Amino acid sequence: MNPIDKNMAAIDIQAVHKSFRQNEVLRGMSLRVERGHTFAFLGRNGAGKTTTIQMLLGLLDRDEGSIRVLGLDPEKEPLAVRAQVGYLAEDQTMYGWMKCGDILRFLAPFYPTWDHELALKYAKDFEVPLQQKIKHLSKGQNVRLGLVMALAHRPELVILDDPALGLDPIMRKQFNRDLITHLQGEGRTVFYSSHLLYEVEPVADVVAILKEGKIVRQAATEELRRDVKQIFLPREAMAMLGEEASLLDTRPDGEEVAVTVEGAAGAIEALRREGVEHRVVDLNLDEIFEAYVTGKVDEGEIGKTERIAIVT
Amino acid sequence: MLLRIEKGSAVPISRQITGQIAMLCASGKLEPGERLPSVRELARELAVNQNTILRVYERLVSDGLLEMRHGQGTFVAKDAPESSLAVHRERLVEELRQLARQGISLGLSADQIHELLAKALEQLQKDVRCEI
Repeated sequence: MNPIDKNMAAIDIQAVHKSFRQNEVLRGMSLRVERGHTFAFLGRNGAGKTTTIQMLLGLLDRDEGSIRVLGLDPEKEPLAVRAQVGYLAEDQTMYGWMKCGDILRFLAPFYPTWDHELALKYAKDFEVPLQQKIKHLSKGQNVRLGLVMALAHRPELVILDDPALGLDPIMRKQFNRDLITHLQGEGRTVFYSSHLLYEVEPVADVVAILKEGKIVRQAATEELRRDVKQIFLPREAMAMLGEEASLLDTRPDGEEVAVTVEGAAGAIEALRREGVEHRVVDLNLDEIFEAYVTGKVDEGEIGKTERIAIVT
Repeated sequence: MLLRIEKGSAVPISRQITGQIAMLCASGKLEPGERLPSVRELARELAVNQNTILRVYERLVSDGLLEMRHGQGTFVAKDAPESSLAVHRERLVEELRQLARQGISLGLSADQIHELLAKALEQLQKDVRCEI
């Protein structure tokens, strides 16, 4: 195993491009995940989340750019990366005829650092029935078995591709608890994708939003909520919003316009300075995400602004 | 200590937790000197990031509502300054203002809004009685 520099990022992606034939999925994407952070990777379906995750594990090659996972290039050293990373795939398919206990024994020799006692402990904590065949597991049990398999070799970094997909609300809460207790509690780095934003908010330290093959925003969860707000103001006052604020979305509201801005503090300060009457509304993470991915700014013809409903 | 997190709310989770703990202190449900759950325990219970809980506790300590004793945990402060409760009261007033605005935009009259608030209080008092 390579010695790890404490200041090194767990994941460092720089200007990565990836196309499948004519379809350019990633267009110069960059992001950085610090050690010990829980990092939520957000994007609409088809935005390139799974493609990115597969490149992090060396399962796909990039066209351009650089990727480092725990300091290693997954394209050159895929096995070394996978030995140190716990991975839960989006639709983990496992041998249905095997019993849960069998698959854990089967996996053990693939990982030099596999800790079988730990595997059994997690299986117990996560209530995975070891005597049951995999094909008879519920969706929730399946995800949790996948999690046991991803964690039992004590990985430094855990990558989870949409782990909450297909879990009911009770199981999602339980899953979040497991994540908080077993991963955050032990100081590990977690990189996970999701499109259930209200599930992400309580858990993630940092979120990044992927749109059209690029990260349009990466920020601490709470900072993002402080920074992005909706402001109602008279239409003619739009120009007073100030330089440091950038518009994500505008929509007319009678004589007023509702503007979603990044850099809310600067915008509010500018409006105050100019003495413009305005109202500030806090947004939830869903609304912030929506503003970034489907927001429309049409300063000239605000009256005609339309918004596209987001499909999740 | 029973806290309730509303997911997907426009009120950030840290502010929800801070507000609720402050309310529990103000109403006496959390008594001075009482020990709060550890950061780890509360994070697990609420399924909320440990760093968020830690920031909430730190915030309430700096407001003077809680105190951290080394190696022992976090406790409700014995002499919480009135001023720190005032901060939370201001926040409540702001939230009431927002609610009132919503009411008006729904076309409710002032009397109707008062009536709704009275009903909500009544309901709450019933719930409290049930708990006891």
